[in-house]
Amino acid sequence: MTEKKTPLLDELEKGKWPSFVTEIKRAAVKNAASAELLQVLEKSYEQRRGHWKHGGIVGVRGYGGGVIGRYVDEPQNFPNLAEFHTIRLLQPSGWFYNTKALRTVCDIWEKHGSGLTNMHGSTGDIILLGCKTESIQPIFDEFSEAGFDLGGSGSCLRTPNCCVGPGRCEHACYDTLEACYNITNEFMDELHRPMWPYKSKIKFSGCANDCTSSIARADCSVIGTWRDTLIIDQDAVKEYVADKFPIQVAVCDKCPTRCLKYNKETQELSIVGEDCTRCMHCINLMPKAIQPGKEKGATILIGGKSTIVQSAFMSWVIVPFMKMETEDDFEPFKDLMRRIWEWWDENGKSRERIGETIYRLGMTKFLKGIEVDPVPQMVFRPRANPYVFWNQDDLDSSGTALDGSKL
Amino acid sequence: MQKGPADPAIKAKILEYLAKVQKAKSRDVAVAIGEKKGDVDNAVKELTAEDLVEYLYITTTFICLKGKVQTPQ
Amino acid sequence: MAKLDQGPPHYKKMLPPVILENYGKWKYHEIPSPGVLKHVGESGVLYSVRVGSPRLVSIDFVRDLCVVADEFCDGFLRFTTRNNVEFLVSDEAKLQPLLDSLEAKGYCVGGTGASISNIVHTQGWVHCHTPATDASGVVKAVMDDLYEYFNTMQLPAKLKMGLACCLNMCGAAHCSDIAIVGVHRTPPRINHDMIRKGTEIPSLVASCPTGAIRPDPKNKSVIVNNDKCMYCGNCYTMSAAMEILDPKNDGIAILIGGKTSNARSAPSFSRMVIPFLPNTAPRWPETTEAIRKILELWIANAHKGERVGEWVERIGWERFFSLAELPFSDMLIDDYIFSRETFRTSAAFKY
Repeated sequence: MTEKKTPLLDELEKGKWPSFVTEIKRAAVKNAASAELLQVLEKSYEQRRGHWKHGGIVGVRGYGGGVIGRYVDEPQNFPNLAEFHTIRLLQPSGWFYNTKALRTVCDIWEKHGSGLTNMHGSTGDIILLGCKTESIQPIFDEFSEAGFDLGGSGSCLRTPNCCVGPGRCEHACYDTLEACYNITNEFMDELHRPMWPYKSKIKFSGCANDCTSSIARADCSVIGTWRDTLIIDQDAVKEYVADKFPIQVAVCDKCPTRCLKYNKETQELSIVGEDCTRCMHCINLMPKAIQPGKEKGATILIGGKSTIVQSAFMSWVIVPFMKMETEDDFEPFKDLMRRIWEWWDENGKSRERIGETIYRLGMTKFLKGIEVDPVPQMVFRPRANPYVFWNQDDLDSSGTALDGSKL
Repeated sequence: MQKGPADPAIKAKILEYLAKVQKAKSRDVAVAIGEKKGDVDNAVKELTAEDLVEYLYITTTFICLKGKVQTPQ
Repeated sequence: MAKLDQGPPHYKKMLPPVILENYGKWKYHEIPSPGVLKHVGESGVLYSVRVGSPRLVSIDFVRDLCVVADEFCDGFLRFTTRNNVEFLVSDEAKLQPLLDSLEAKGYCVGGTGASISNIVHTQGWVHCHTPATDASGVVKAVMDDLYEYFNTMQLPAKLKMGLACCLNMCGAAHCSDIAIVGVHRTPPRINHDMIRKGTEIPSLVASCPTGAIRPDPKNKSVIVNNDKCMYCGNCYTMSAAMEILDPKNDGIAILIGGKTSNARSAPSFSRMVIPFLPNTAPRWPETTEAIRKILELWIANAHKGERVGEWVERIGWERFFSLAELPFSDMLIDDYIFSRETFRTSAAFKY
């Protein structure tokens, strides 16, 4: 291997936090492309600019995504980085692994690629960072044999992901791991064969703490909730009191709707159920004493995305409550997603996320298009202007004739 | 997307259209050849498996005849 | 031919017996010490030990994790939404030996409860094609500086940070307690020769999200309307002739106060408080210092349990700028599409 110096990068091997430079150096011992990556990166640190180009066609037969083309801008100086493509693999739900599966990923990647990975990418996939064009098909063939599949890239359904859910969390209001697995498998065509105006993401969070940040990052956010009233265990409340936990200050005073009352005399906590917005604050602080209600499901929100192009959007409530308990319950969700994507595919402009299409054409048109009835949970507050686009066919049911009779 | 085998006539129309352009979004292909988008997508799925068409990802995903658009330099 | 569309590996194969037995039956959890989670289920207890990761790792790093997981966790581990590693311990007797072993090997245990977890970040100079700054390097510098808040739980509340290496804002930087965002500040410089040699002009024109690029048939090239350009670099993605990278003028902006959880208050966007800091590689001292100052101000002034954004909203942004001694400028007043909601339409405010 080349023993060129990297004085700037070496500065990033100092300090307590684990160093990515050390990791690239470890890969560089075994792989010429990783060794050149160190040199390119050192050059970026000297010149304060990147050296990568995007694009083109790199893929495997039968798929339209899963591989992202990357080329260094000076292939003459860095021949091993002339092609340095990214491969995305679908992760197991919740990023749980046994060591056999992880070692399989390492072994295949050592044979064909740079030996560098991201565990994981922001969308959720296992990211394999850096391979040649000629290696892509063999890499896919071997991973396929080992039970792995490519993730999404391009104008498709991107790899869905989920929080740890019932695998290790008492808050989970539905099985995020199974929902993610089942629904990812349902939409393999949409994931592997890009056909839409732009990308579309789904994230599954088991409760309103939203550990996958679905509301900010996913075109469709599926956030666990319940419809009845949360459950309070008064014995457990008394244990919190015995431990000197400040229930009034930490829980009741911070409750956004002040729906929790703590009685100091009886050491009991009570709730006005219809005032609760199910925000999770009290449950987070007193998990032993407060639980979500029994009638559990998920809220479906649409339109979340990051800043490019029209500013960042948070997802909007479309369905306040949908049951998500069994596989049969997933069917209405899948039908809804198909209607939503069809509407977007029909109406969206190229490189327009669905939130932007809805904003451009109006929420009302969207709701009609996907056949969802309006409910007050969809808005913080109703409109402040009278500029309603009246449906001219509906007017006669609300107007009256001059003699006062109904029209 | 439609399921099941694609219509050979639609596949032929797609190939004919793609021969005339550098690259296209599948929606534009559907409009140009007067077929339903879902049917076009399904036909494209088969055409890519047959190595006649490929996907191209530059800021959004296009389709093109296999080999027609080159990667950078 | 390889099997198509087989989907992800089944998660059930990746779960240790204690999870299979308590699946959906967890009762509560505690944090016995920083970096250690104790989940109590109906029929068993699971300990998870959280370890920091640089996210960009070699396969040898992953193999090292496997050695640890085999020795202490019956071969089971997971990764978190914030790219940390969690060793899953079913046998309580193995917890302390695991912690000792991690300490001896130099792993960083922490990131639970009222601490900084890992910084979610993008690729930066390592692999992105439009970066305005590096990602991994800035994250490393900031996490080194704030390490005392990773392996302890002394913050007012949890702190989630994100870094996006350009203003496309990949990752969740737009809704982070503190966001580090790479910014380009100059329109693309056009290489007309390169465009004439083979850029497809209609595609290039169409690539601009704000319609700032129009064809220039006379020169067989394009013209950029600088007033409309917001420096996203989409055109550079389409054609290398549209040079967006600008080492002298690219740098970092700091945004704060975002969150995605619904607890207490609605999810909120991060807001810009420092429009520009220089790209001082390799350790970005201006950025680490600015973040530490904001962090310490939050620690000193927030109520217990208050996220950064909740604290600033309570005291008021105008008060935040006084306390933080940060200059306020026109760059911090929104003039993009949805600006109106940020203007103060009330005569009540502080100084």
